[in-house]
Amino acid sequence: MTDPIIQVKNVSKIFGGLTAVNQVDIEVPEKHIYSIIGPNGAGKTTLFNCISGFYFPEKGEVLFYGDPIQGLSTNLVAWLGISRTYQNIRLFNNLTAVENILIGLHRNLKTNWFEAIIHTKRFQKEESGSVKEALRLLDYVGLKGYGDFLAKNLPYGLQRRLEIGRALANQPKLLLLDEPTAGMNMNETAEATHFIKRLRDELGITIILIEHDMKVVMGISDRISVLDYGTKIAEGNAAEIQANPRVIEAYLGPGGAALSEKYKKQRLSNAKSN
Amino acid sequence: MNKKLVSPSLKRGLTFGIVMIIFVLIDLDVMVATMLSKLFGANVIRGSIPDVGFMVLFLILFGMFVGWSTSSDDAKPTTKLFQALVAGLTLGVVLGLFDLILNQLIVTGTDVRKYLAALAPESIRLFLFDQGAISPLLHLGLFTVASLLGSLMKILLKSESASRFFKGVKSGYQGLQAKAQANTPNWVKKYGKFLLFLLIGLLAFFPPRIWGSYNNYVVGLVGLYVILGIGLNIIVGLSGQLMLGFAAFFAMGAYSVALLNAPLPHGIMLGFWPSLLIGILMAVVAAVLLGLPVMGMRGDYLAIVTLGFGEIIRILLKSDLLTSFTGGPRGIQDIRGPTLFGQSFSSDIDYTYIILVVMVLSIFIYKRLERSRTGRAWLAVKEDTKVAQATGVNIMTNKLLALCLGAAFAGLAGGIFAARNQFTGPNDHQLMVSMNILSILIVGGVNSIPGIILGAFTLKGLPEILREIENYRLLVFGGLLVVMMISRPEGLWPATRPNIEKDEGNKLKENGAPGEGGLND
Repeated sequence: MTDPIIQVKNVSKIFGGLTAVNQVDIEVPEKHIYSIIGPNGAGKTTLFNCISGFYFPEKGEVLFYGDPIQGLSTNLVAWLGISRTYQNIRLFNNLTAVENILIGLHRNLKTNWFEAIIHTKRFQKEESGSVKEALRLLDYVGLKGYGDFLAKNLPYGLQRRLEIGRALANQPKLLLLDEPTAGMNMNETAEATHFIKRLRDELGITIILIEHDMKVVMGISDRISVLDYGTKIAEGNAAEIQANPRVIEAYLGPGGAALSEKYKKQRLSNAKSN
Repeated sequence: MNKKLVSPSLKRGLTFGIVMIIFVLIDLDVMVATMLSKLFGANVIRGSIPDVGFMVLFLILFGMFVGWSTSSDDAKPTTKLFQALVAGLTLGVVLGLFDLILNQLIVTGTDVRKYLAALAPESIRLFLFDQGAISPLLHLGLFTVASLLGSLMKILLKSESASRFFKGVKSGYQGLQAKAQANTPNWVKKYGKFLLFLLIGLLAFFPPRIWGSYNNYVVGLVGLYVILGIGLNIIVGLSGQLMLGFAAFFAMGAYSVALLNAPLPHGIMLGFWPSLLIGILMAVVAAVLLGLPVMGMRGDYLAIVTLGFGEIIRILLKSDLLTSFTGGPRGIQDIRGPTLFGQSFSSDIDYTYIILVVMVLSIFIYKRLERSRTGRAWLAVKEDTKVAQATGVNIMTNKLLALCLGAAFAGLAGGIFAARNQFTGPNDHQLMVSMNILSILIVGGVNSIPGIILGAFTLKGLPEILREIENYRLLVFGGLLVVMMISRPEGLWPATRPNIEKDEGNKLKENGAPGEGGLND
């Protein structure tokens, strides 16, 4: 097992009287796809916000390559190499798709406003280079030909892809995906799943995923954590999580574990008879 | 015919009838007729009454407009004609009834000018075509026919054969254009833009010498407001900070030039150009001082704070406290103009040149900023501050930079403004100035240079040009604004986003051979 790229140690986030995230520990090794699942309101997105700098956790530490990053502002977190997408898509709606990606490239560009005015050689080189890079990324996320559409005019699935494209432009080491397949049909979901896998395999990016679609989660995750009411109730690989009675009860309510056991046996016997 | 068809047309006729009645009551009809007669070359002396023919022409045009606008786009030709007929008849009946009253006034010799200052008996006679009792019938017939004519025009111009004709013309033109593009030699492609600019420059050189000082004044005013508009657009349009005290930066530039380059109250006489530079710097310093504490604010709160800032600066300039330093409410007189190579360069023609050059320079700088890393960061901050920050954009520095650069433009415009007027006082920097500049952006189109120029012309140039119709100036102007905001809510010339993907594709196609590189905008 490689070194962990990110460690969440004992993190708690409290809103007024509500403990949204309660002493959660997570450790993600490099080049893993790590999923966080849980019922609605379990604190998954809050945990994401704690990692990406939107929230400052009251307790605990977030370590990125061993260095604490909790409390840093979001742009610094982005500079370190952590990109994210959002549960409800948040693109720069009135800009074109290419411009969205170009803004994602912001961190990698060096020229300042004065160079922009006098058009230095460095600026021209950087600008044409960044446009090329943006178009390459556009192609990579499958939006070729849609580059000049305003982001708000893109179809839903492509907006999700564009958001990932914008996050990738930052050249992240760690990518946080918040429900990347929400609202997609089966074909789109399968495509997205494949795409997420490619990100890891081709670009070597570590991915933390929040997802409700169990097919996606079980299909691509190296490891899964389950949150319920802000607490981590289980961690393990897909098979372990599926077998965990606490997880099943968190989703189906008390008694759910027994029920699911019953259905599983039924299905097995059906399969045998077939 | 069914009620659905009749009732809107009836309403429309009624509305336009009332509009016409108001026109008559404030004598605007005679005004328009006078302008029409001027258009046809008649020599009109102020206060004289134009020929009846022009009044007829005006009413016919009005009726045609009613007919045109009443016939709905998707209706059959007969329906269109019917709609126009109903509207025209309604209009005619409404005005006919009004005519009866007017005629009664003439017959009894009542002078209503006591209540309606503009409604002279001559004007009434002109509106009634001098025909007395039969004028209601004349108007009824005129409006019905005109309305039908308007509708007919719409039917003809919007018919399929007409649209096919226009399409043919368009495609033919495009074909010609493509042919011309293919046939242009390489050097034209390379230097064509440059030559075009040179030509425009030459064209801009001569008019200020010819068209007189009043036009120079108007053009200069519009130019200054274009510069101010660009400055505010960097703050409001690009980085999305609603700023209502922009005149404060304008005042910084104006007062710096005034204090450093006038005999009183300090007599420093530094010369125009250095003091202009200091003016820009002062505006930037003010922007930093304002910006640092309010960076965290957004939207309404920021608007209120900046509004307060603008007022503080103005009241400080006016206050007794600083009278010995800033000249107080009386302002500063005798500001010296610029010199160039030892020659005085301060005639109205010279100022027009200076303003035009600075304006072009400002547009140039704005364009380059907009299409750079910084410009995109600003737009991102405007669209969604939090996401922009999480994408790696430093919100603080970028917002502050936008504020400073915008303020620099204001300082520049302020310095030139003060020197051009040879005077500046607190009244030059009122809240209305800030509002006007913001209106320019909204009317013209945010983030669009042609929009800002059009907006500056509409809001600052047009009132000057409309001075000829004095009493109606604000009425016409207000009406134009209302109509415009209804028909073009995004501004006269809304901004479009660049087509980077397409452009890049085209460039790759064109530059099959290596050699030319880099981005030319």
